Amino acid sequence: MIKTKKLVHEYSRRDEEGNVTEIVRAVDGVNIQVKPGDFVAILGANGSGKSTFAKHLNGLLYPTEGVVYVNGIDTRDKETMLTVRQTAGMVFQNPDNQIISNVVEEDVGFGPENLGVPTAEILKRVRESLKGVGMYAYRKHSPNHLSGGQKQRVAIAGIMAMRPKCIILDEATAMLDPAGRKEILNIIHSLNKEEKITIILITHYMEEVIASDFVYVMNQGKIALSGTPREVFAQTDKLKECRLTIPKVTQIAQALHRAGLPVPEDVLTEEELLSYLEQV
Amino acid sequence: MIRDITIGQYYSADSPVHRLDSRVKIIATLLYIISLFMFDSMAGYAVAIGFFVLVLWLSKVPFAYVVKGLKPIIFMLVFTALLNLFWTPGTAFFSCGVITLTWEGLRKTIFISLRLIFLLLGSSLMTLTTTPNQLTDGLEHLLSPLKVIKVPVHELAMMMSIALRFIPILIEETDKIMKAQAARGADFESGNMLQRLKNMLPIFIPLFVSAIRRAGDLALAMDARCYHGGRGRTKMRPLKYQMTDVAAYAVCALYIIVLMVVVKFCVI
Repeated sequence: MIKTKKLVHEYSRRDEEGNVTEIVRAVDGVNIQVKPGDFVAILGANGSGKSTFAKHLNGLLYPTEGVVYVNGIDTRDKETMLTVRQTAGMVFQNPDNQIISNVVEEDVGFGPENLGVPTAEILKRVRESLKGVGMYAYRKHSPNHLSGGQKQRVAIAGIMAMRPKCIILDEATAMLDPAGRKEILNIIHSLNKEEKITIILITHYMEEVIASDFVYVMNQGKIALSGTPREVFAQTDKLKECRLTIPKVTQIAQALHRAGLPVPEDVLTEEELLSYLEQV
Repeated sequence: MIRDITIGQYYSADSPVHRLDSRVKIIATLLYIISLFMFDSMAGYAVAIGFFVLVLWLSKVPFAYVVKGLKPIIFMLVFTALLNLFWTPGTAFFSCGVITLTWEGLRKTIFISLRLIFLLLGSSLMTLTTTPNQLTDGLEHLLSPLKVIKVPVHELAMMMSIALRFIPILIEETDKIMKAQAARGADFESGNMLQRLKNMLPIFIPLFVSAIRRAGDLALAMDARCYHGGRGRTKMRPLKYQMTDVAAYAVCALYIIVLMVVVKFCVI
């Protein structure tokens, strides 16, 4: 579905005369591979290059070096740019800054309108996508009166209406309250399971990646760690180097493990921990 | 005070006026505004006011709601009224020192005030019954002939609808910044005009910075959703004239005819 080969992205800082003063390597030789239908998380602290990386996955940025393939298409090709962006939809961090219209349903229709989809088909897609994220009742509302979580659901519906194969969430939960964050996670998990949509979740919240199939951890533009959530969370020290902390449950489990209780180090959920404790 | 700005305010209701095609409403409003300047008689105003009352009644918008739209022009209204009242030469009916009131002045004052009031009421009735998106859609359609002479009509309409979408967001932000600055001891109330304007600077700079940042984010989000200008774009709800729209045009034509007849044959 998505493949990057030795992807490098450099920003250049310029002084007032426009001379390059510094070159920053935001992304530095990243190789990842995402299979269709996967739920992949990319973890990283602030400034780890994860957002810059995300923008390569649907052609918003072009690689300085290396290649990105989306569904087999090279993103550098200007001719197929719209296909790439339609295949891999992107949900951004700030819910207010990605809603274009004053009416929920018109905003959801924006993507298909741009793609030149016939009117009857747009209406059908808008209806289905809004029902898919549970916002159909709000279709005539103004986005200004919705909560952050609801706005992000509208943004997801806007992407779904373009019929993508993959959705990239670039810290889409970072500005939400815990309830809103849960809403969005539930929706993307159900889209992944029921509609078989590939999900790439970019975040710095460790709790959000527990249920994913595969995790990449980014640090200083490079992939520092990768594996299943269980494999990744077992490497506490390496995660600390990347300025990330493991979920509370895993922390407790590791403390118990060190104290000599028969609890493994790689516990991910509360239920799991409870079942081990009951055995004790 | 900031929240009083009512640009593009929409009054949601289910009425025949709300359901009309936005193009009809734009053209009708233009016609109505022009018609206000075509006569200078009591009878003419009676017809124009009668037409407005009829449309207002059909639109189910409360009268008080429409009148609120007059607030921003009260100062201008009073100013022009006084100017006309005191400085129009003619037969005097009241004189006291330097102040002389004339019959001609009184008549002119009433007419000009009515003209201004109904100009504003008419156009605010349009914005109250049309969503901003319908409005920009209608404008885009009506102005589309200008595309021939390379006027970026689609882009202008898109800019307008985005501006309308961000007005409430920026207002909220201004409020937040004002509170944040006030919490640090900023003073927006005291001092003369110039002083107060200077004190507003710590509000405007963060507001502009954040607006530019939002614009960058929005552009990225639009790119990500395959926006590439008006070319090859379809519409979710294309504008299509219905029978009621044709009827509305007929009513407008009727209004103009009645107005012309009345103005011609009544002498008041």
